[in-house]
Amino acid sequence: MSIQDILTRHRFTVTSTGLRLDDQAEAPVDNPDAAANAGATLSLLALNRNRNRNRNRNRNRNRNRNRSLNNAAGAALQEPWKERELLHDLRSEWQDLPLPLPPNAEGLRRQALDLLVKQALRTTPQESGRKAEILREANIELSGYLRPLGIEELGGYDATEGLFYLILALTDEIGLRYKDRYNVLRPNQIEPRLRPLLPNPPHQSYPSNHSFQSFSIAFLFSRILPEHPASSELFNSARRIAENREWAGLHYACDTQAGYQLARMIAPVLEKVCKKQMLAAQAEWL
Amino acid sequence: MGQTATDLTVTGQENYPHYDALWHLKTLGVLDARNAPLGWSPTPPPKPTRVAVIDTSVAPEHPNLKNTINTALSIDFFSARLGSFPYRGALDTLDLDWDTNIADGLPHSVRLLTEFTDRLSNGSAAHNNRVQPCTLPDFSGHGTCIAGLVGARPCITEKRLASGETEPLALPYSGVDPMCEIVQISTNFDPEPEGMILAFLYAELIQADVILLPRTISDPSRVVPELGDVMLGSHNIKDLVRQVAASPVLDDMWSELAELIVNISQNRPIVCAAGNANEEGAIYPANLATEHNGIISVGAINAKGFLSGYSGRQGITVFAPSNDAEAFDASQVRLDERNPEYDPIGVPPSTDNDKFSSFDVISTDVPGPAGYSGSPFAGASLDGSLREYGSYFSRFGGTSAASALVAGFISLGRSVGDCPAGSGSAAKSWLLAKSHPQSDGDIPLNVPCWSGRPQFPDT
Repeated sequence: MSIQDILTRHRFTVTSTGLRLDDQAEAPVDNPDAAANAGATLSLLALNRNRNRNRNRNRNRNRNRNRSLNNAAGAALQEPWKERELLHDLRSEWQDLPLPLPPNAEGLRRQALDLLVKQALRTTPQESGRKAEILREANIELSGYLRPLGIEELGGYDATEGLFYLILALTDEIGLRYKDRYNVLRPNQIEPRLRPLLPNPPHQSYPSNHSFQSFSIAFLFSRILPEHPASSELFNSARRIAENREWAGLHYACDTQAGYQLARMIAPVLEKVCKKQMLAAQAEWL
Repeated sequence: MGQTATDLTVTGQENYPHYDALWHLKTLGVLDARNAPLGWSPTPPPKPTRVAVIDTSVAPEHPNLKNTINTALSIDFFSARLGSFPYRGALDTLDLDWDTNIADGLPHSVRLLTEFTDRLSNGSAAHNNRVQPCTLPDFSGHGTCIAGLVGARPCITEKRLASGETEPLALPYSGVDPMCEIVQISTNFDPEPEGMILAFLYAELIQADVILLPRTISDPSRVVPELGDVMLGSHNIKDLVRQVAASPVLDDMWSELAELIVNISQNRPIVCAAGNANEEGAIYPANLATEHNGIISVGAINAKGFLSGYSGRQGITVFAPSNDAEAFDASQVRLDERNPEYDPIGVPPSTDNDKFSSFDVISTDVPGPAGYSGSPFAGASLDGSLREYGSYFSRFGGTSAASALVAGFISLGRSVGDCPAGSGSAAKSWLLAKSHPQSDGDIPLNVPCWSGRPQFPDT
């Protein structure tokens, strides 16, 4: 049938409940599963229903967070064994991504000079705020990601937060494997004049897991909600969090860069592993 | 998406009028009242018009898009720096403009072009440096909606019956130009210039007839409103607000990107969304549009013929059909009185509520539970197949939708040999000659129309 024939012989009409093809009667929509089980043929088009999203003046209704009732974070920290199993099934897709080899000791010493400069600048008024950021970001916490999205104090985003925790958990393991392979000494082991703000974590330097994990959140969030203005802002937050580890004297710039590259290259694998959680998170926004 | 039976309970939706899912094509004068092509014949030209869409990835298996997406040339820059081809094997000799001088005078772009053309040479791997593309259809909602508005083909597909048998199912949905081909150029949303420079270079290399950018580019110094030279003591506020320190190399590359976009628009029209937050003068890079280049900035007009509640008005080249949004601010009160949650308390006596239109633009959506519209079924089918055709389409809108319609409009002009080739400015002049002033407020809105004058159905 030609284009013209299909268009002139059939017609889609947008109705108050969905899309109707030609003059077929619409199936009831209040319980479509029951209709399907009964063998009814639906002619309904399930259009997305949230009109004027993000623009409605009542948009935040009933979304005030009651933190005392919020157990999502605790629940999300459970070991994600199913996703980890899937990740391991796909190991051949991520175990040997083409990260550049790290610089030699001379190269690292040169990069450490920049860290000495940062260490000196840390005490200046312009950069004095970094210390609080560094201490806050020392361990896993989500405010650096939730604040650009504007959902830090809002309820109803449990799946989004759960997704972020899942990404942090999976990327932690992956990063450790790469660190182990390259076995790069921490900056103050190369440059003793460095006085890190925090103790060296008990693993190697290259690539930076703070960088890898933060950028992984940014890359995957931009897959589920590319049109959100904060999608790009999350990358800036990720860069800030990653660079703060340089300001803390814990990572070279090359660690930050390698973390970014790893996050970018591994995103296709993570979107397969985290698909279910990404769809659930997306549903909270659409 | 992910809807439960509870989500599907209908409350007050019966207030809204029914409307034709292809109303936007009638407003653009492309289809007549019978849905037949108006003033053009759907006979594909020998070489399909090529639309390069720089956006997210797409769902190429959608029945209305199967013959639209050029799977040999579509490329993904999300994960692989120099691009991975999602739908093909190793590269053969690609039909590219290998000798382009489009980057001349732009040193970073020249360097990238050299590296990129080497990567595109005969025999290269589809996946650059073994990095997979990041293109799962599940997360391709935006690109799929955009592609459908530009170039979806009406088609006959199959409907699976409860008995397990199938029967033919017509999907009478069409893009503005159902004869064009779309080369999807997907990128990530990291605010760094290299990926976008490569995306535009690729659109030039494949000699796209039209380039569509239904999004913004987050260049830190060109985000609107631009901060200009606001100083705080000896520091420019532009530098003080940055989370990440400026880098001279990156700043140079951002400037090159802006220049590159203008240069490419001399050869082929670049259609850009003007923004969804009342931006006067439009977002970047739509705001690069001038009389002297081929950049086309597109705003949105609703199904009543009024400026959409979220669209800017000034400095915009043309306006095309899209959805509407409520407004409740000092410049306008436009509320949806049909909405069951409509609350008259606090609403001033004089409003523009009558300008609000409930019509959305309908487009193709990722099949299955992903995308903007999920299945009406709470659970997946037992065998994983689609149980109905419901989630093939979704409501869509914004200036993204409007820009996609304009790109399709120019593509149709090329497909029937009406719109001139080889010059973005000439294509833009052709588009403006096809446009009609629509009266709304002080400044008339230019609305393209293929035949006759634009008709608005929500009256």
